[in-house]
Amino acid sequence: MKTRVPAVLSLTSLALCLVSPVLFFAGKINERTYRLAFLLTSIAWFVFAILWASAVRRNKEKP
Amino acid sequence: MYKYYQAPWGKKWLSHARESIIVPSRLATLTSHMDKLYEFDREPVSSDKLQSGGKFAGLFAGEHVAATEFVIGAFFVLHGVGARDLLLGLLFGNLLAVLSWTFICAPIAVRTRLTLYWYLKKIAGPGVTFIYNIANAFLYCILAGAMISVSATAIGLAFGIKVPALDAVLPTSVGWVVLTFVIGTAFTTVAVLGFEKLSRFAGVCSPWIFVVFIAGAVAMLPRLGVHPNLDNLWEVATTKIWNGVAVAGQEKLGFAHVLFFAWFCNLAMHVGLSDMALFRYAKKWTYGLFTAFGVYPGHLLAWICSGVMVAAIGRQMDPGRMAFEAAGLAGTFGLLLAGWTTANPTLYRAGLALQTVTPNWPRWKITLVAGAATTVLSCFPVFFLKLLDYVAIYGLVLMPIGAIVFAEHWIFPRLRIEPYMAEKRGWTFNGSALIVWLETLVICFFLPLHLYFRWLPGWFIALASYTVLMALRRKEGVR
Repeated sequence: MKTRVPAVLSLTSLALCLVSPVLFFAGKINERTYRLAFLLTSIAWFVFAILWASAVRRNKEKP
Repeated sequence: MYKYYQAPWGKKWLSHARESIIVPSRLATLTSHMDKLYEFDREPVSSDKLQSGGKFAGLFAGEHVAATEFVIGAFFVLHGVGARDLLLGLLFGNLLAVLSWTFICAPIAVRTRLTLYWYLKKIAGPGVTFIYNIANAFLYCILAGAMISVSATAIGLAFGIKVPALDAVLPTSVGWVVLTFVIGTAFTTVAVLGFEKLSRFAGVCSPWIFVVFIAGAVAMLPRLGVHPNLDNLWEVATTKIWNGVAVAGQEKLGFAHVLFFAWFCNLAMHVGLSDMALFRYAKKWTYGLFTAFGVYPGHLLAWICSGVMVAAIGRQMDPGRMAFEAAGLAGTFGLLLAGWTTANPTLYRAGLALQTVTPNWPRWKITLVAGAATTVLSCFPVFFLKLLDYVAIYGLVLMPIGAIVFAEHWIFPRLRIEPYMAEKRGWTFNGSALIVWLETLVICFFLPLHLYFRWLPGWFIALASYTVLMALRRKEGVR
């Protein structure tokens, strides 16, 4: 459970990273919005992925 | 290109072969120290430590997206590769690379369960192994230097420092030197202080860096005039991206060049057998096929994406600008992180190889020396501006060792040539191996072929000449 939540959130962030350029390409958002959205979803990926990796590591280290 | 990660199933970094020479008295000491460095790899992997195919797929999936991908894919555009040539060349070239891992590297690793280091020592002796180590260290430093240069283009953009022109060899401005020096120093400091933490961080970065490539390329498509319904995608690809026209001063490359490049860009790892370190953990030699999970995203998709990006910025080799315009600030960070996370393990590898000549130095000191050398090399733009040629040379230099090991492993038993003579007779140098290595490189240098194609005849030359020389030694009973 402790690993599942950050795992889901990080993978969702990564998927969202790909959504913003597609929306920009489709003309649904402008370039500025695309760049900002990509930056924010990227930050989210790093936060959740690091939490995920840490949780996995803690689980492995448990006796 | 190639990144080295901590294997998910191992506590230590997988050792890629490299190793040891000098004069016998000093060499004995060096060899002993060197062996200690690789002590944890000395014994063949036991059956309880073998890993599943899924773990191999996962490991390879994150391995082939490095900072150099920003440059390589872009260079194909600058070299005037046509769209069809690029796609077919990458498709089949990567297939050949996967098959080389599967049919050349993995079977030897699975049969011996050893790293190249220990296997080469049995075959060529500690002296040749030592030379191999040093050559590897030097080549690693250049590669890490190229990665620092690529990252420098990302930071340089913010300070208005121009990327050197395509024909530049020496540093073109004080700003460039200062920039590469600062970045090289930062990378080295981090490598010295916290290598293991960064290696874990690299694992987090890897999927995201791949996403940066995809996002950047998709976002650049409107600038190239691709319609949202993609109906003119192929037309744009053939006329505005891979239009078959090389930029001024760049050599025109075609299908065969792309095919061979995709094949040899990891030559040291598959035909050169460095990846024995990984595949010795494989249950079956067919796990070599799992390398496809790495090379197709990294050496096909990422190269295509960087090609799209460079075309969209007017076919200029400026990875920093390319990444920024394609993905904004995140793109710049992506490029910087790609350089950082790949230069770091490369520095570590160079340090590990160099440690053989300075056996009493602590790890931090040798990493510092490797980092300093790498930082100096990164000031010279030639290494990243001629990256395609450098990658060819890198593979070529180490390839004969792979041929020697292949001959000893597969051909000698069939010809009833005694294997492992160096080990059995206590040779410091297997002179035949050394001669074949040098002879192959000299012949390859003079071969009237394009640089990209020379390694293939070179491999057969090394294979045949080593077999003949060792057969003669058997007959003559020469030591």
